[in-house]
Amino acid sequence: MCVRHSHTHTHLAWHPSYDAPNSTSTMAGSQLKRLKASLREQGIIGPQKSKKEKRQTAAQLKAQPDKRLQRHEALASIREQFNPFQFKTNARGPKFEVTTNKPVGDKAAMGIKGRPGLSKARSEEKRRETLLVELQRRNKVGGIIDRRFGEDDPNMSLEDKMIERYTREQMRNHKKSSTFDLEDEDESAGRLTHMGRPLFDDDDDEDVGEIGVRDDFDEEDLPSGDESDTSRAERRRLKRLRLEEAAAEQEEEDGQPERKKTKKEIYEEIIAKSKLHKLERQAAKEEDNELRQELDKALPELQALLFQQRPKEPSKEAGAAEPRLVIAGKDKATVDKEYDIEVKKLAVDKRAQPAERTKTEEEKAKEEAERLKELEEKRLRRMRGEAVEESEEEEEEEEEEESEEKDKKKKDDDDARDPFQAEPEDEDEFGLGKGVKYRPTATELGLDDEDDFLIDDDLVASGSDLEFDSDGMDSDESDEEASGSESGDDERDDDDEFVKGILSEAVTKDAVFQAPENKKGNDENGIPYTFPCPQSHDELLEAFQGVDVTKHPVAVQRVRALYHPKLDSKNKERLGRFSEVLVQHVAYLGDRFEHHWFPTLESLSRHVHSLAKSFPIEVAKAYRAHIQTITDDRPLALTVGDLVILTAIGTTFPTSDHFHQVATPAMLAISRYLGQKIPQALSDYATGAYLSILALQYQSFAKRYVPELINFCLNTLCALAPEKLSERPGFFPVFEPAAGIRISGARDTAVRQLNCRDCLPQQQPLSPADAASLKVAVVSTVTAVLKSAAETWRGLPAFHETFAPAVAVLQHLAASPKSASHLPSQLAARVSSAATSLSHLLALSRLARRPLELHHHRPLAIRTFVPKFEDSFDPDKHYDPDRERAELARLRAEHKRERKGALRELRKDARFLQRETLRIKKAKDEAYEKKFKRIIAEIQGEEGHAAKEYEREKAARKRKARRG
Amino acid sequence: MAAAGSDKASMAGKRKRQESGEASKKRRKSDAGDNDSKTAHATITETIPRLEAEIQESRKHYNNIATLVDLAQKLNEDPKVAFAACEALCRTFLRLLPAGALVKRKDASEKDTTVTNWLRDRLADYKGALLAFLSSKKLAINALTLAMAIVKAEAKHLTDRPEPVFPRHFFANIIAAVLESPVDTLRDYFATNFIRGYDDMRFYTFEAVADYLTQHQHESVDDGIRDILFDLLLNMDDVPASSEALDKFFIELPEKKKHPLRSIIQHKKQVQEAWLALMQRGLSKEQRKKVLGAMATTVAPWFTQPELLMDFLTDCYNTGGATSLLALSGVFYLIQERNLDYPEFYTKLYSLLDADMLHSKHRSRFFRLLDTFLGSSHLPAVLVASFIKRLARLALNAPPSAIVAIVPWFYNLFKKHPLTTFMMHRVPRSQEERERLESEGMDDPFLPDEPDPMETRAIDSCLWEIVQLQSHYHPNVATIAKIISEQFTKQAYNMEDFLDHSYGSLMEAEMNKEVKKPPIVEFMIPKRIFTKAPPGSEESDSLLVSLWDFGSSS
Repeated sequence: MCVRHSHTHTHLAWHPSYDAPNSTSTMAGSQLKRLKASLREQGIIGPQKSKKEKRQTAAQLKAQPDKRLQRHEALASIREQFNPFQFKTNARGPKFEVTTNKPVGDKAAMGIKGRPGLSKARSEEKRRETLLVELQRRNKVGGIIDRRFGEDDPNMSLEDKMIERYTREQMRNHKKSSTFDLEDEDESAGRLTHMGRPLFDDDDDEDVGEIGVRDDFDEEDLPSGDESDTSRAERRRLKRLRLEEAAAEQEEEDGQPERKKTKKEIYEEIIAKSKLHKLERQAAKEEDNELRQELDKALPELQALLFQQRPKEPSKEAGAAEPRLVIAGKDKATVDKEYDIEVKKLAVDKRAQPAERTKTEEEKAKEEAERLKELEEKRLRRMRGEAVEESEEEEEEEEEEESEEKDKKKKDDDDARDPFQAEPEDEDEFGLGKGVKYRPTATELGLDDEDDFLIDDDLVASGSDLEFDSDGMDSDESDEEASGSESGDDERDDDDEFVKGILSEAVTKDAVFQAPENKKGNDENGIPYTFPCPQSHDELLEAFQGVDVTKHPVAVQRVRALYHPKLDSKNKERLGRFSEVLVQHVAYLGDRFEHHWFPTLESLSRHVHSLAKSFPIEVAKAYRAHIQTITDDRPLALTVGDLVILTAIGTTFPTSDHFHQVATPAMLAISRYLGQKIPQALSDYATGAYLSILALQYQSFAKRYVPELINFCLNTLCALAPEKLSERPGFFPVFEPAAGIRISGARDTAVRQLNCRDCLPQQQPLSPADAASLKVAVVSTVTAVLKSAAETWRGLPAFHETFAPAVAVLQHLAASPKSASHLPSQLAARVSSAATSLSHLLALSRLARRPLELHHHRPLAIRTFVPKFEDSFDPDKHYDPDRERAELARLRAEHKRERKGALRELRKDARFLQRETLRIKKAKDEAYEKKFKRIIAEIQGEEGHAAKEYEREKAARKRKARRG
Repeated sequence: MAAAGSDKASMAGKRKRQESGEASKKRRKSDAGDNDSKTAHATITETIPRLEAEIQESRKHYNNIATLVDLAQKLNEDPKVAFAACEALCRTFLRLLPAGALVKRKDASEKDTTVTNWLRDRLADYKGALLAFLSSKKLAINALTLAMAIVKAEAKHLTDRPEPVFPRHFFANIIAAVLESPVDTLRDYFATNFIRGYDDMRFYTFEAVADYLTQHQHESVDDGIRDILFDLLLNMDDVPASSEALDKFFIELPEKKKHPLRSIIQHKKQVQEAWLALMQRGLSKEQRKKVLGAMATTVAPWFTQPELLMDFLTDCYNTGGATSLLALSGVFYLIQERNLDYPEFYTKLYSLLDADMLHSKHRSRFFRLLDTFLGSSHLPAVLVASFIKRLARLALNAPPSAIVAIVPWFYNLFKKHPLTTFMMHRVPRSQEERERLESEGMDDPFLPDEPDPMETRAIDSCLWEIVQLQSHYHPNVATIAKIISEQFTKQAYNMEDFLDHSYGSLMEAEMNKEVKKPPIVEFMIPKRIFTKAPPGSEESDSLLVSLWDFGSSS
């Protein structure tokens, strides 16, 4: 109550400037009077109190210990109240009368802006503590920091400190004085410390950080068992034992009536114990030694066990052991150097890593399924044309490689496994639901041709640059191999075998690899074992001269083996070029095809495919170059070679991709022919039929629509129909056929399939029978294409519009009166069945048709230009919507403020320093003056004294003379 | 340019003439001794300059002109000599004409009149000889130069009237000779140096051409000549902007302001007459296409009454096919410039959208026009919808370059005619409708065979075709087709970016992309490409192998 009252009172008293006129009579009068009055009001002084009253208040004080604090507070407030410059306020008081929820005494509420006196004093104090100390220590080196006990403790009085220090000293001395202590000799006193912490401490619960500081010198490693060098661990253990014993004794003592031992007894006991411990220690040490020796003996075995995976290790170990053996024979420097090198090597050395667990069949299958699933997902993503991020893709590729590698590993596990291991899963590629079957063996697949085997072996193994890194450790790998290597370890074994298998029969000299000259040895088929690596198509033709075309795959395979990238660093480049040449060769052979060459072309294409895995860019460029020549020279007159190349592209590259550097131009070349070619001869129709099939095969997975295909097929049917359609059945362009194209009189022709010979332009007109057979074949093929196109595109939204004309054309073909007499019945049946199935699909598509609802988009917001109003606007706050700019402005303001503050502080510092130096100077001057005066006075005194003595002497002499 | 060139040529000719004149003088002085002796032994070549010089010397040697004309007429015997005689005659007449020797004067003496008449007859003979030269291969162009010099001189000096009188008859003969001449270079020379070089020459030429055609109306004009005339007309320069722009005259600018040569309308009229005369003769199909192609730019502007073209254009427009497409721009020109009211224009336009339209090479041209015709936002949405739907149907069989052009245009139309957007987004209204859809599906309400675009019910249909093209094999086409199912945030597409594509350009765009990133390679190496799977194995043949005979039975 009282305190509160005083507060309100002081409140009034703070503002003498405007309170004075209204102030009560108590406020009038001199400063002293007012002081007295306020003191009285606070109850600090009062009228004289009787003894009884005094006692009461004393009791009260005891009861309320905070009374004194209250008193202090009151005094402080009075002090403030009598210093009008204590506060910084508005000259005319607060500007507005405000109602606030802040406490009445709050300085903001009272219009106080600062306490200049207080802050000044505080800053002064701070400077004195920092700046002044620095000033004084300036130009001084060294010094003693007083770290005695309690030096910095302001709560202790000088006496307390003294007492404390004294007790500590005493205690230390007391400990030292135990002269007979055998174990703890000068433990605490003579211990080395670092940063106030002991270097070797004997407590178990030490900090982790200190372990690092501890010397890791292991005494046990020393051969001599010096008694004095008892290990610290031992000591610690003993100490613990002793403590336990002591505790046990205490318990005993607690249990029994206390019997005081004599000093002698105690000492004897201690000595006995210590001897016993010594013995124990020795025994333990010997035991350890034995164990260690045992371990030393077993070390080589252990090491072998540890570094099992790395066959190089033993040799290295041997190499490392060598210098050790000849240590004696070398000077110390070299030994040290070698040692250092060894240490560094060891540091760089890879740690042994646990081998991967051999996987079970199920796990492998699962892994494989997952990998395929992932590949499939990626394909789908590419098909949708979703942007795959570069890095991500690379990662994925890496993963892919990894998984590939795993595959290969897997293959290694089982030698008997056939090389087609990946093939059967091809079926599973899209479904994934069937689960994975175990792989059929080679014999199951009817594989007996060795060449075939080898090719496929090579085909499955795919190179990759990424795997190269892991090769670095291989011991049997020579340097040149390392630079050119591009396949994983596991594959290497395979390939080595693969290469050796060929070379063992031929010349197995290194020179063959280094300088690939033609050292010809031929096998039973007359195929040389070695070839130069053809770098252009002419070279290839020259090299393969004399090799039957059907044996070209063997030759290619031998070239690939001979110039395997691992054999020479240049081989990679050579093979890249070779793969381009091979593409040209496939086209070349295609142009000069024989009917029985297609298996050859197939395996060559597959070779190209497998090379494409290692040299994707080269192969892609070669294919694109071929497409470019097609576009430039013969966009509408494709040769068989072009057809073969386009087919190979379709199998080598994923045609389902939304965009692909090779597949897209290839598809465009196909559709250009289909769309723009106005067929003149029957061969044009045949070529178009081939391309239609190919286009459909390209789109078999992505099911993209190819308008040109429909156009071509329908136009072909219209052109070959025995009778012209009475009206155009759709919107596809119809070209009037050349004379003699329509089928007539082919009633008895057998329906055959088209072959590539049909695509060649006829030099001389075909015989009527041949022509009829070809026409019938074209019609039957095109009908089949239409049918399978309908199957492929059955889900498309405008299926009905697309295929309704087809149905009309087919029906015309099947049902027109003339066709019955001109078409073979087999063909007519096929056509009408196609028409039926198509019309069935049309009905289905009609059922599935729904109105389009393409625009279920979120409605777009209309742009607003109404300014944004702030409900509680604060002028001090920044409402910059541009975040960066706002941040910048904030930083700038802060910087300005800080700068100003720093300047002010610096100025104050300077002033303080000036003041201090002046003070010091004054003090110095004063001291000097004093000293000067003192000396002067001294001299004067001496002078006076001497003068007096002289006077005295003079007087005495005078007197003597007078006397004498 | 052409004018300047011809000027230079004529100047060079003059210089030559002068030089040869001097040379002949010198020669005359040198062999002055045997001046009188007319020896038959002297070679004819040597006699010609002498004869010419004698004519110049005195009137009594005028008979030499007859000798020279005789020589000049012997084209078949000795062309060189004949031409030399022609040159000499030309020089002679060019001297005589300005001197007024051929001017008929009333006050002249009888003797003079006889001389004048005789000279005129000789001149006519000479002209005939010159015209004969125009069909000679080597000398046609030179002869033409001589003839034109005579024309110029004759126009100025044949009568004593102050302003020139154009020798129409002679010129018409020249034109006929030029047209009928087997020498192509001669016509080119004439076209570049005279028709395009001089405004008055063009005027008189086409006057003569029209006359020529009307004169030969009943005989069948040779196809060759028709082609020649056609090329001549088609390759004309642009129409002069105004009468003031007519400033290049071969003869000279007529004094009179009202003179037809000074009026652009008269000029146009001559060309128009020529065109009409030619068109009445009938044009071949190719020529028609050519005319139609150049209609708006070179043909119609020459017409003072383009309405006269209307029948021609309407006929062409009704022909169908590419001709119709080409006639469209002419018809549009008339509609735009001449306020031609073409009944059922849009029906006709709609009928142009046939199966071959998107495959035609005039596709981009047509689209530019179509864009103009359907540019108005006041057109009924039903009509616009018909066009959209029809083109969408066509797009199902169209080359990628056409689809690329169509779809952005659709977008623009959708933006312009919001009612048509129902073709992209149509939510079934009622529950019954939904149920019916579920149970029966639906047919396309669009009537593709309906010729009237207002009656096709296209607005009730949907653009399934374009949605199908969103899975077009060409990635760019597919992407473009996707714009109709995305939000319509863009104001409009600039059609020019999409119009001029072809297989070639698309391919070029693909091939120009450098292969930098290794392309993705199919992971699985297929076991079989051309060969059939062995019977009994689990793998299935690819489509190619099952439909094509690669000769492997295993």
